Order: sequence, then C-alpha cells, then structure tokens
Amino acid sequence: MIAATPEVLPRCRVEIDAERCKGCDLCVVVCPHRNLRLTTGFNRSGYHPVEFHFHGSRGDCTACGLCYWVCPDFAITEVARRRP
Amino acid sequence: MSAAEIRYETTLGALPTLTGKPTHYCAGCEHGTLTRLIAAALDDLGVRERTVMVSSVGCSVLAHEYINVDAVQAPHGRAPAVLTGLKRMLPDRLVFSVQGDGDAVSIGLLELLYAANRGEPITIFLVNNAIYGMTGGQMAPTTPAGMVTTTTPHGRDIAQTGRPIDAARLVASLEGPAYVKRVFLPVRPTASPDLYNARGALEGERAVRNAFEVQQRGGFAFVEFVSTCNINWKMSILESKRYAAEVLAPLYPEGLYRDRFGVEAR
Amino acid sequence: MIDSREFLKGNEALAYGALRTGLNAYFGYPITPSSEIPETLAAEYGRSAYPEFKAFLQAASEIEAINLAIGAAAAGAKVMTATSGPGFSLKQEGISYAAAMELPILIVDVNRAGPGLGNLGPEQTDYFQATRGGGHGGYRTIVLAPGSVPEMALFPSLGFELGFRYRTPVVILADAFLGQLKEDLVFPPVAAPAFDTAWATTGARGDERHVLSSIHLEFVDQSRHSEHLREKYAEIERAEPRSSEVATDDAEVVIVAYGICARLARKAVRELRARSVRAGLLRPVTLWPFPSQRLRELVGRGVRNLLVFELNAGQMVDDVRLAADGRARVESFGRLGGLLPTATEVASAVEAMLR
Repeated sequence: MIAATPEVLPRCRVEIDAERCKGCDLCVVVCPHRNLRLTTGFNRSGYHPVEFHFHGSRGDCTACGLCYWVCPDFAITEVARRRP
Repeated sequence: MSAAEIRYETTLGALPTLTGKPTHYCAGCEHGTLTRLIAAALDDLGVRERTVMVSSVGCSVLAHEYINVDAVQAPHGRAPAVLTGLKRMLPDRLVFSVQGDGDAVSIGLLELLYAANRGEPITIFLVNNAIYGMTGGQMAPTTPAGMVTTTTPHGRDIAQTGRPIDAARLVASLEGPAYVKRVFLPVRPTASPDLYNARGALEGERAVRNAFEVQQRGGFAFVEFVSTCNINWKMSILESKRYAAEVLAPLYPEGLYRDRFGVEAR
Repeated sequence: MIDSREFLKGNEALAYGALRTGLNAYFGYPITPSSEIPETLAAEYGRSAYPEFKAFLQAASEIEAINLAIGAAAAGAKVMTATSGPGFSLKQEGISYAAAMELPILIVDVNRAGPGLGNLGPEQTDYFQATRGGGHGGYRTIVLAPGSVPEMALFPSLGFELGFRYRTPVVILADAFLGQLKEDLVFPPVAAPAFDTAWATTGARGDERHVLSSIHLEFVDQSRHSEHLREKYAEIERAEPRSSEVATDDAEVVIVAYGICARLARKAVRELRARSVRAGLLRPVTLWPFPSQRLRELVGRGVRNLLVFELNAGQMVDDVRLAADGRARVESFGRLGGLLPTATEVASAVEAMLR
C-alpha cells in the first residue's frame, strides 16, 4: 500500500479500458520497463486484459506512449504525466 | 501539496475521429493500429468534417465503423475508382481508402494502377498481410513462396502460381504517383526475447500524415503497410511478428519509393 | 455547339440531352454501337456551354467506369455511363451495389446482338438483364425504352428526375438501330434541375455522418433494408409505368413492341388498318415498371389478341403473359442476330395470329 504523498505518487499513469483489451500482448512486449502485464482474470469477451504497474521490473513508467501507439484496440485510452 | 492538488496532464488521449466502437479485428492485427494512426492524422490536420473514406472488401470492410467520417463502400477491388469519382466531384475534400492485398493487388489491380497512373489526388493505404484474411486464409498475390494457405496446402508453388507481387514497386514504376512508401508496421523482435520494438507504428504515423499532405498538395499517395495475420498464418501473435520480420521484411523492403514533393525531407 | 433544332444520330442526341439537363460526370469505356456517346461528350467537355459538366474520363474498363460512377453518385452528382451488351454484363455487380446503396446513376445500354461477342446489329436481348435486376441480389432498376431520336434526347432528363426522386439507378435501354439512326429533333430548353442530395457523402457535419454501404451483417438488418427496397419498388410500380398507344380504342389485336420494333409496328398497324384489320400498338416506355395495368385495361375492354414483337427469342412476352393473366391470346414474333423484319412481315404475322 503506497501512501499518497507527492514523493511516491506515480509520475505517470496509463489508463486501460479492460473491456476493449484483447490480450494481444503487444503493449506488454514493447514497454521498455515492463510496466504492463496480462492478468489471469477475464473480461466479458473472454480475453485476459492487461493491467498497468508504475513500477515495472525494468524501471518506472516514463509515459513514453509506445503502448498507446501500438495497441490495436484503443484499450489504452490515456497516457498521463503528473504535473510538476 | 495535498493529494487532492495532484493533477495529471494527458499527453496521449482520446481521438475524436474514432467512433469508439470496439473493432472486429483479431487480437494483435495491424488493422487496428492503422485505424488509430489514420484517426490521429485526421485529428491533427483538423479535417474530419472534410474527409470521405471508402471501405473495401476484406477485413477492412468495416473500417468505416471505427473512423468517424462520411464513408462509401466500394465493391471488391474498386475503391480507387470510387475514390476518383468522389474526388472529381469534391476536389476540396480529403478522400482515402484502406484496402487489403487481395482487394488492391488481385481483383482491384486495374483500378489501383489506373488511379496511380492518372496521378489522382487520392490516398490509398494497403494492408499487406500476405494472405486472404476475411475469407479464411487463402493464397494472396503477396503470399511468399512455400507458404501454406488453404488454397496452397502444400506451400505456394511458384511454377503454378507465379511469384508474389511487390505492390509498392509496381505502383512506383508509374510516373503518376507523387508519394509511394512502404512501412513495416508490426512490432519487431529485438536482441532481448521479451522486448519488441514499436518503431513501425511511429513510422506509420508519419507515413499516414505525409500521405494526406501529399493529397492536399494535389498528388497521388500510396502507403503499403506490411502486416501480419496470425490467425490465418496459424501462429501465435508474437510468432507472427517474428515471421513477418524474417520473411516478409526482406521480401517487401520498407522504404520511400517516391516522394515528388519532398514531404519526408522536412 | 448545337442549335435547339438538329439532325442527329440517336447516340449524339442522347449525349446532348444529358448535357442539357445538367450532366456532371461521364465515365465509360468505348464499345460499338454506343461509342458516339463518349465521343460527343469528350468533344463538349471543358467548353463553357455546359458548366455543370465537371468530369469526363474514358475508363480503363467497363467495371472501372461503373465504379467511378458510384463514387460520383455518392457525392450527389448527376452521372452517366453508356455501353452495349457485353459491357452491361460487366457492370452488373456495380449496379447491384448502386441499387443497394440507393444511388441514382444513368446507365445506357445500346443493345446489340448476342450472346457473347455477337455482332453490331440491333437486338432486344438485354431485356431480361435490364428488367429483372441483372446483377446479384434482390433489386430492380427503372428501365426506360426510347422509341425515337427525340426520345433519346429526352430520356436522360427523365432518367435523372426518376433516379433522384427514388434514389435508384436508371437504365436507358436503346438498341443499335436507334443509336445509329439519324433524325430531325427539337431539343427542349436547357434546364438543369437541382435534386435533393441531403443523403450524399460530402463530409461529416458535426456528429452527423453519412455511410453509404450495402453490408448488413445482422440478418434482421438486411431484411429490413430489403423490405425498404421492396416498398420503394412497389411505389415505383404504382406511380411510374409509362406507355404510349396507337389505334387501340377499337382494336381486336394489339402489337406490343418497344424501341425500333415500335416504329415498324406503327407502320404495320397502318397497313393492317388499310386492310380493315382492327390492329393497334401498345408501346411500353418504361420496361420496368412494366405497364401491366394499362395492358390489363385493354384486355378488359375486349382486346383478345396480343402479338409481342421483339428482337429476341421471347423475353418481354413473359411480362405480357403475366399481365394478360390468361384472358387474351399472347404470341411472340421476332428476329434474331441483328436482322429486322419489314413492316409488311409484321403485318402478316398479325394476320396469321387472327386466322
């Protein structure tokens, strides 16, 4: 559980519409920091939707936007940076 | 600063030119990616209300469901002719089509080459996944030698069926076109087995924008997007990206085959 | 430049008729005996006399031509394409799409002999193809049958009027003879009416956008759309049949004929009347919707014999039989291969029927 103070609040976030996701894995494999992972759950279409973790296994998200551009289903609906 | 005062600023968000309808495309298909690139370009240029698209037949048949512009459906292969008819009557509108390799290079080859030859100020996007997708995986004019499809169950035999056709080069062999580009759209494998490179999508974004700009300047613009079809290639999604990089990329090299107005130089 | 009074070939008269009614675009492929149509239009293209005429293109194929026309029609333009039998066959897919998308397009077929390559003589063998919705799927197109060079000049205007009123393709079914025949005519004044094109795809207006398509994946949606077409065609059948008659008031036998056959039949009627045979002529002007109601009225009034004179092995005779509904004798007379009978031979056929 991360305390919501400015120092530890995520610097950026990626909004995902889980119902649109088809679990294609493309955003997962293009993310340089491994911030995205397929879940084991299912959405209504029967796919494993992806979820976002600011702290990835190779670093923190930098809002590079590659996931957004690569997603074929507009399931990545927003990439946002925290205002300084 | 309290938590309530933290604000996030969207750097990449909603695209008004998308209708928002979930697509019928298979998981991992570049059609979806291209749809996003087109919507982003139209938003950037601010031309949504001055654009008419033409849908073709194939997996692209429902392309107009996802892009929020006026649309006309063309019979199989005939989109370049329908685009020409529209543009001749509405010269100040932006018109474009999304076509598959069967639609543009097989049944519609005459329409494609003649529109190109006339240098019609229209924009054509070809999604080349080297197979007939919508109809269930038959051989396409762009299917590589040896590839197994439902109509080449023992692998494509060049002696029987001829060689795969290079659409970008064929179109560029004519003087008419002003912009002919081929983009490798799929994510590419890298040295790390679990990291793929998304350069294709970013190149694609530029190509789409350039292709619209060329039309605005009065030229014929054609962009071929080498793509994948994991379902009909009978591979996993990531396997299909690797196959495309290994087999299709050398067969259909990406590059700029014509740029009469120098739009890429800027 | 032409005067309002001219001496022209049917094909030329049709081309000028189209220009004078505000033709916006012509796309077509050369094919005898229709090529004078694109040739006339090519010569007039770019001249200030016809400012509405914005596009002329010789297409690379018949198929490209009909699809160019689909694009122009989708923009709300008045567009025409002309061909003969083999090209008419090639256009059928496009016509089916145009009917499904409810696009007004004028398609001129100058019927020549067939099947296959045939020859350049006149036939009326495209009747079925034109009137039954010659392409795939369930649709109809209005079919106009000019009977003279003046009608060749008039029918583009009528075709656009009906095409835009009902949002449907319109076929002008002429024949090789009529296309090549030269006649005196007086053109009506130049008039380019504006039609309602609110449905056209010219660019979205705010949230509202138009999609002209013929795909309806849900069966219920396709059914609904086809029902709508059916209702439209029923309305056209009710309101738009056209025909003209000669000497039918007291006729005991009526020749049913269109196009060049009607010209011969008129002469045959004169010859028969001189021999005291009470013969008449019913000339369908719309082949679809067929003037069945008028035919039924004639039969009801006592016409017991109908001789269907056409340049084929019997096509329109089916529609005459359907309309007569067993209450009159219906027989076929004709020629094939581009041959024409004389009016005297037609008259003899009528007399043979009455014996």
